[in-house]
Amino acid sequence: MAQTKLQYKSWVPFAFLGPYLLLTSVFFLYPFINALVLTFYQTNGPKSRVFVGLGNFKYLLSDSTFHQALTNTTLFAIASVCLQLPLSMGLAILLNQGNSRLKGFFRLVLFSPNLVGQIFVGILFSVLFTPRYGLINRTVQGLVNWGLEERWLSNPVLVMPAIILTSLWLWVGFNMVYFLAALQSVDKSLEEAARIDGANAWQVFWHVTLPSMRHVVVFVVIMSIIGSYQLFELPMALLSSTNGYGPDNSGLTVITYLNEVAFRSGDLGLGSAVGWVVALIIFTVSLIQIRLTKVVED
Amino acid sequence: MSLSRLIDKYPYGKAPLALLVLAVVSVALWFSTQKQREKRPDLIVVTFTAPHQAAYRKALPEFEKQYHVKVDVQLAHWGSLQTRLQNAMLADTDVPDLVEMLEGSLGFFARGPKEDIGLVDLTDRIEGEHLKERMVASRFSLWSARGRVFGMPHDVHPVMLAYRRDLVEALGIDVRELDTWEKFNEVGRRITRDKNGDGVIDQYMIDLPSGGGYGVLIMMLQRGGQLFDEQGRPAFANEITAEVFRQYLEMTLGQQKIAYECGWGQSFFKAMTDGLALFYITPDWRSYTLQTDLPRLSGKVALMPLPAWEKGGRRTSVWGGTGLVITRRTKHQELAWELAKFLYLNPKSLGERFKDTNIIPPFKDAWSLPEFSVPNSYFSGQPVGQLYAELAPQTPPFYSSPVDSIARAKLDEAYTRAIEHFKAHGQDGLMDVIRKELRLAQDDVMRRSERNQVLEQGK
Repeated sequence: MAQTKLQYKSWVPFAFLGPYLLLTSVFFLYPFINALVLTFYQTNGPKSRVFVGLGNFKYLLSDSTFHQALTNTTLFAIASVCLQLPLSMGLAILLNQGNSRLKGFFRLVLFSPNLVGQIFVGILFSVLFTPRYGLINRTVQGLVNWGLEERWLSNPVLVMPAIILTSLWLWVGFNMVYFLAALQSVDKSLEEAARIDGANAWQVFWHVTLPSMRHVVVFVVIMSIIGSYQLFELPMALLSSTNGYGPDNSGLTVITYLNEVAFRSGDLGLGSAVGWVVALIIFTVSLIQIRLTKVVED
Repeated sequence: MSLSRLIDKYPYGKAPLALLVLAVVSVALWFSTQKQREKRPDLIVVTFTAPHQAAYRKALPEFEKQYHVKVDVQLAHWGSLQTRLQNAMLADTDVPDLVEMLEGSLGFFARGPKEDIGLVDLTDRIEGEHLKERMVASRFSLWSARGRVFGMPHDVHPVMLAYRRDLVEALGIDVRELDTWEKFNEVGRRITRDKNGDGVIDQYMIDLPSGGGYGVLIMMLQRGGQLFDEQGRPAFANEITAEVFRQYLEMTLGQQKIAYECGWGQSFFKAMTDGLALFYITPDWRSYTLQTDLPRLSGKVALMPLPAWEKGGRRTSVWGGTGLVITRRTKHQELAWELAKFLYLNPKSLGERFKDTNIIPPFKDAWSLPEFSVPNSYFSGQPVGQLYAELAPQTPPFYSSPVDSIARAKLDEAYTRAIEHFKAHGQDGLMDVIRKELRLAQDDVMRRSERNQVLEQGK
């Protein structure tokens, strides 16, 4: 009788795990394996397919449009790390020192662009960048006597700066919240001790504060790089008249390219190959980042 | 037994019980809503514009009464409709019976093996009813692939120039004399100027996109150029496109420029209200947008045909297009065909629809309806329908291909390279650069097109 009760109980955990396992298998495991298999095929949507071996990867190696998409995205990722993160850190430090009542207000103000989403921000900035009438053009003209007639979104040289500028407004506040939380958890006694030992503000930040929040910094850097390689909605909304490409492909990102080949042109095989290349890049960059951080720590 | 005692008796605790109850309630709700769901109408039509939906809903009761059927007209955003429809057709799931599509999209649906094309081949029906003679034949080009016709054209979309009549007349310009682009440019160079001396030009002759885009395509088609030939092969690397590029560059860049890109939406309306540009590319559908979105310019605007590339040449082009296709999965193919004819060939509803949209239908018999010759007070009393209808037979064909979007992107790329050369070196060696870039772009489109082994197998 006791054994029967034990057997009865043994399948119960699996019954509870069942829905999770089912959902994971259907929505993660199957697409994951299928995406890998698809990279060896050329398809016409989900129905017809032809085996091409490594043909999709060979094609990507020779496709200048894909190379440009990769270059643009990498440029954006570098700008994200080099511009966004220092700005976010600066704002976090400012807020961390400010009046506590105003702190919450400014935190909300700086974070709020992120609440409205990339499509909204893209549409908003496409209006702000309007030649002659746009707020940005008029402001730049007023400040440096240049740019009133400048076409940010149809000049190949200015498209990427426009995307970076827009993303700064969107993401700086978001990353700032992470940094602010990390700053608030730094052991104040360590900073105090450094000050007593004669360290100036920069030295305290560089040698005490920053190392204390290094795990958050690494996390934010990795997330920024991953986010940058997934950039899609923002250029799509900002450059909607050219389907997210921008003039001379100047705003084309790898995910926009993936969207084009997989869903607009219907080759899910090539789209999967692009997806795997992006995954590999993100994995490699993240690995390098983590290794570098360990080297610095050691 | 009380509820709390019942709950306590459940052997796995309260949380799993709550999950179980939730699951049972969800399944029960799902079943109950399934039963309540309305029976599928006999035909479902999907369109991507609200005015079309409204117009069809107005006309449909007559059809429903005549055939004793129920028809539902649904609205969906085009971007999602295109990919979802294609995937639904390929995955053999439920799809609408009739769908309105946007120009340039047939290639998307006609790629792949023939058995993958989820649309009904209408060629024999169209020929059987002599529709190519009764409608503007060139408009079938948008809905043809591999020599077969898969859709009925909804519109013609001839292009004219809308102009600020009040300002043009004040400048002493007689639009009747602007019958060639050469004369148009000549006058344009004269009137394009900085009126208040602040160093910024505030009066241009025409609104044209500086990056090429639709402006180049409209002029290319007017001049007899094409993106693809009738068989769907890329066909834009030629002297026609090269010459259009050169002239368009002169109009939009450099010291002699006469064009300004007024953009879309608010910036367009502001520019037109301010008189920043005097002439605006205006197909029939845009004439209605002007009426509704810029009512303050009523009586100050008029229409004229496009200037020709050479004296006596074509005075119009095309911009945009919608067509109606029947999906192969429909259970009522004959009824769907009757509905397509009812919606697109019924003079009574076409007159009404013109009043609500200014859009010229390709069905020629409709043009003699009284609605088409009514003077339009917005356009200074001109009979808008009659003006567009007179140009409709001249509209050029516009062939489609599965690599349509790539070809448009590559044409833009070639134009951008031409801009870079023009900015750096002006006219020196310009035509050679344009020819080279067009050739490279076309070869690239060809290479991508030939890569499609699935399509090649289908052939």
